[in-house]
Amino acid sequence: MVVAGRRKSIAFFIALGAGLISVIILLYVGWVLLNWRSGILLFLGVMLLATIISGVILNTIFLVREIRRNEQHDAFINAVTHELKTPVASIRLFLETLQTRAVDETKRKEFYHAMLDESDRLLASIEQILRTGRVGAAAHKLNLSPINLGVVVEECLTRARTLHHVSPESLAYHPGPSATIMGDLDEVRAAVANLIDNAVKYSGGDVKVTVETAQVDGKYVALRVSDHGVGIPKTELKHIFKRFYRVPGQFATRVKGIGLGLYIVRSVAKRHGGRAWAESEGPGRGSTFVLQLPIVK
Amino acid sequence: MNRVLIVEDERHLADGLRFNLEAEGYQVGVVETGEAALELLLAESPAIDVVILDVMLPGKDGFTVMSEMRHAGNFIPTLMLTARGHPDDVLKGFEAGADDYLTKPFELDILIARIRGLLRRREWLYAAMNNTNNAPASHTTAPVEPKDAFTFGDKSVHFDLLELRVGGQKFPLTLMEANVLRYLIQHEGKPVSRKMMLEQVWGLHEDTDTRAIDNFIVRLRRYIEDDPTRPRHLLTVRGVGYRFVASPAQAS
Repeated sequence: MVVAGRRKSIAFFIALGAGLISVIILLYVGWVLLNWRSGILLFLGVMLLATIISGVILNTIFLVREIRRNEQHDAFINAVTHELKTPVASIRLFLETLQTRAVDETKRKEFYHAMLDESDRLLASIEQILRTGRVGAAAHKLNLSPINLGVVVEECLTRARTLHHVSPESLAYHPGPSATIMGDLDEVRAAVANLIDNAVKYSGGDVKVTVETAQVDGKYVALRVSDHGVGIPKTELKHIFKRFYRVPGQFATRVKGIGLGLYIVRSVAKRHGGRAWAESEGPGRGSTFVLQLPIVK
Repeated sequence: MNRVLIVEDERHLADGLRFNLEAEGYQVGVVETGEAALELLLAESPAIDVVILDVMLPGKDGFTVMSEMRHAGNFIPTLMLTARGHPDDVLKGFEAGADDYLTKPFELDILIARIRGLLRRREWLYAAMNNTNNAPASHTTAPVEPKDAFTFGDKSVHFDLLELRVGGQKFPLTLMEANVLRYLIQHEGKPVSRKMMLEQVWGLHEDTDTRAIDNFIVRLRRYIEDDPTRPRHLLTVRGVGYRFVASPAQAS
């Protein structure tokens, strides 16, 4: 309901802006036709009019942008609420169950396992949120050290295989020549882990993910993470790296998330003098994410 | 045994809920999407007594599921269980037709007490509907079961068993179907307006969409009419509502 209301108000402001501009132009053209002799006044009037029109246009643009941002912010709050409260609800439910009911040994183990899963998920969400604050703050200094990207990727893959219970075949690694970058280990690791986690999450039931590293012109090392999952509409490829952004419609709501992972990837890439982008043939046709970072010799 | 349907896509939470509700003696079913829930709930006579509905579901969300259920004339007591505790969300849930709303994280005892409350309310309603004398409600939670039945032609409605018998065949009726039929039979021969039915059977006093009633009539005609397209017992009174006629030959 809120979203529909916003759409209406966006349409209203655009219409209002366009309407006002056309009225002003009409008045002005009429006035010029009637009083074309008053030359200097005319010139001044043109300047004033141009200022007013650009003011109205700018106002409309900023208003629409602000409404969009609010919309995303609401979606973010909902997603964060869900991602933080649901694991707590599960853990609490299991603890209460263990406290109040007779639970046999197998079930008890199952419950412990579920609680560990949920606390991992909670921790991951919290880390993601805290990291967003850090990578977004220009003041936060990078703790630079030479890093072998291949080693970081191996580490992240091992972690992802255990976390998502996938085999090394489903989550395969094709390492290129070893490359050393200068970076903040914690941040680079977070960016790589986010890309791998996303690839697994958006693969649906059948995980077939390939991770490759390769050198580009001897200056950069590119990490390519490819999946055969849900894919991304072409028009969304640029937007998905924005903070809080989630692809609208059924497409993304099938997979839960807070909309921060790719923002972190792009911010980390930028802070390290590199870049990050996505490639996809469209929905249902998988996608490839590339993280490119400069090599140090 | 009371049957609970859990609509929840969080696997761990659903498992935990299932374990506890089964321990409380309920029969529990779990579905993960709104679409799957609607398919179950909008079936002819769903074998479900109470629904626990999450909001943030993949595909159709809980609010949509809730309002689609109610618009289709399904009034199974439903508790919305969700992380969204903002007053706007709570109001949205009740507007969609929820009977109760609980936010995550929740206390297990409270959840179970609320489910019991919903079931108890349903049983009281059932008892009141079955008690034709409108005697004051008894102080026990057990449903009152008067042996009442109504026979017309070769058909008989057994309100106590929620069953319609035609010749040798038996058709199960839902509680609401039976209540609608009972109300029409009580006013046999007289036209009954849709508004009256909404007030008396559903207990609603507002301008609710009356299409739900028409859906019930269509279903009832399928049971009791030999040719549902040419009804002889359940007649439409244009501009008013419906009229039940027990013996069409005498009436005409």
